[in-house]
Amino acid sequence: MVSALAFSTMVALPSQAQEYSPIKQIEVKQELVDLGKRLFYDTRLSGDTGLACASCHQPDKAFTDGQALSDAYADTLHFRNVPTLANVGHRAAWFHDGRIGTNLNDVTRESITETYFMNMDMRIMQERLKQDPIYVDMFAKAGKGEPSNGGVRSAIEGFLKTVTSSGAPFDTGDMSDSAKAGFELFTGKAGCVACHSGDRFTDDQPHNIGVPENPDIWSDPDRHVTYVTYAKFQGVENYMNLRQDLGAYIRDHKEESKGKFMTPTLRELTYTAPYMHNGMIASLEEVIDFYNGGGGDAANKDQLLKPLDLSDEEKANLVAFLESLSGDSFDVPAYNPGEFDTEYTVITDWLNKKN
Amino acid sequence: MFKIQKFSTLTAVALVATSLLAPMGAMAGDRPSELAPLGDPPNPASNPTTPEKVELGKMLFFDGRLSGNGTMGCVVCHLPDAGWDFPDKISMGYPGTVHWRNSQTIINSAYYDKLFWAGSSSSLEKQARSAARGGVAGNGEDDGLEARLAFVPEYVKRFNEVFGDTWPNVRNAYKAIAAFERTLVQTDTPFDNYMRGDDKALTKQQLAGLELFTGKANCSSCHNGALLTDQKYYNLGVPTYDGWQDDALAQITYRFEIYAKGVTEDKYRTYKEDPGLYFRTKETADLGKFRVPSLRYTKYTAPYMHNGMLETLEDVIDFYDAGGGTNDFSATKTDMIQPLGLSKKEKANLLAFLESLSGDRIEMDYPDLPPTEPLPAPTN
Repeated sequence: MVSALAFSTMVALPSQAQEYSPIKQIEVKQELVDLGKRLFYDTRLSGDTGLACASCHQPDKAFTDGQALSDAYADTLHFRNVPTLANVGHRAAWFHDGRIGTNLNDVTRESITETYFMNMDMRIMQERLKQDPIYVDMFAKAGKGEPSNGGVRSAIEGFLKTVTSSGAPFDTGDMSDSAKAGFELFTGKAGCVACHSGDRFTDDQPHNIGVPENPDIWSDPDRHVTYVTYAKFQGVENYMNLRQDLGAYIRDHKEESKGKFMTPTLRELTYTAPYMHNGMIASLEEVIDFYNGGGGDAANKDQLLKPLDLSDEEKANLVAFLESLSGDSFDVPAYNPGEFDTEYTVITDWLNKKN
Repeated sequence: MFKIQKFSTLTAVALVATSLLAPMGAMAGDRPSELAPLGDPPNPASNPTTPEKVELGKMLFFDGRLSGNGTMGCVVCHLPDAGWDFPDKISMGYPGTVHWRNSQTIINSAYYDKLFWAGSSSSLEKQARSAARGGVAGNGEDDGLEARLAFVPEYVKRFNEVFGDTWPNVRNAYKAIAAFERTLVQTDTPFDNYMRGDDKALTKQQLAGLELFTGKANCSSCHNGALLTDQKYYNLGVPTYDGWQDDALAQITYRFEIYAKGVTEDKYRTYKEDPGLYFRTKETADLGKFRVPSLRYTKYTAPYMHNGMLETLEDVIDFYDAGGGTNDFSATKTDMIQPLGLSKKEKANLLAFLESLSGDRIEMDYPDLPPTEPLPAPTN
């Protein structure tokens, strides 16, 4: 707050000026967070024990995986870019298509049980966790009783809520002159702030900006099959003939929603390349070039997108500003428990112990 | 040697042979009336067996793509070289799990009214779907499995030819697998030949064993008919699976099954044994009961019982000779099981007869599976 105030005295803010604050930490009971953190890194939460949440959401990359398109369960691949989990508890809707608009508890359920994510029968998961005395102890301390499906979702939700950006030059006031000039463009000539608004720099709404389709989705059957599975489950018509990611269309099945994706946060961008819902843009410089050209081609592209006519210097300033929105790494003990043993413990005296 | 397309021809020959031998009625009269040779497998009107469907079903049976992780096809737990089941007490589980019951042979499964040890599936079609989706078996999900099939051009073509599907319908995959399984039958064992009139088909020792089987040992009170099972449910007092005491993964699966199949919390906390038929009826009288298995093809399907706790056929005979065993649900143990007082020779005779219920091994080469490929260009 202090830095934002100090900052506002340094640059002339345009009419849509607003006050910016560092992202607020959401308070969660520490024992629940510790439990959720361990679960987040535990491969026993996937059907074949091959994947943990952290397999795709890696802490040193602001909980992304560095690939254009994500891996998926076992022999399959995913059709979207891994979204960052920075400040994920503040979102209004989750996944690039915004298909879950309730809470992170539901997001966790979806991610653990969905056939192409972790493909886990949560009843087996529950019994696996009961076979690890550390979890039995942690669930009790977190006030969740014995290990359970609901307790897992609640704990991971609790952990995710604590993933909070900190230390960004934008928040600390340590911005370069170039970054400051970039901020002026961001809120002015370049018009970025129209959608990238608020402390997280997103309006939490879906837009179509004409990002090109990623051809790898449709050329690789191990990826395309994941899209077919998804589209079929979402009740999309004619899904076998689709060669387009329909995005937020699956929320309302309205023609104008095709190709819309949730505005991503601009926090922690230096950790999260490549960019866009399908990873089609490799660098921030290319992202700026994309917008400078008025975005891509799409029938229902957002009217706000126009060629910007930015100079090389202006583009460089915008990149500097975007970089000033990235702060401290999440690859620290608060967000990464380090390696731990995932063996199970035999319950001795089985016949006489209660299950 | 088993040949997949020949079932109708073989059956026709068998029928002719039977009718030709019918005049030798004096012989047939010697045969125990509670037993019978095995006839044609069922050919349900809801899923008629055709050579093309069987061929498709064979590929799908061997194809791991019909499972959650792409490797756990039917064949993994029903190995042709291991009696078309899994050669361990408990079947192999999905990676990261173990199963909790013994895998049953596919051979002659066509004739059962219900499938699985507690009869939870009413058809082979439903059994295939249950196995493909079960958390400790295939762990697949219909949408994902159906999508995988669409990326195999050979399957797209064959599902269209066999079922008229534009894109493969996963329910039809289970139908094709069931049709294939209906060809995995064995109707020409020494026992069948004997029952059809060939007096020389059984050895003297086997004939002595047959007499015990239907007489002193009383096996045929449950193991009767052409399939050598009355398809009813009994508790014999088979010992509890011992892996639950020292295998952490087995302990996990045990609790999962109890939890998933639905019992009261008190039972979930205290049961240490497989409730079997109880899961279906929720009648206390059905605790620990399992469907009488066919005795056909048992030469190749060791170990035995729903939890594989009896290692050999000799052990099985010793178990019955002792009047069965005890387990947590002994209150429901059938009275039909009583100590038999069999001599060593009688046991050997019974064993010899049991072996006459199996013919040659049914062997099969794994088919070449068609590749997954990108979809063709969209049609609209």
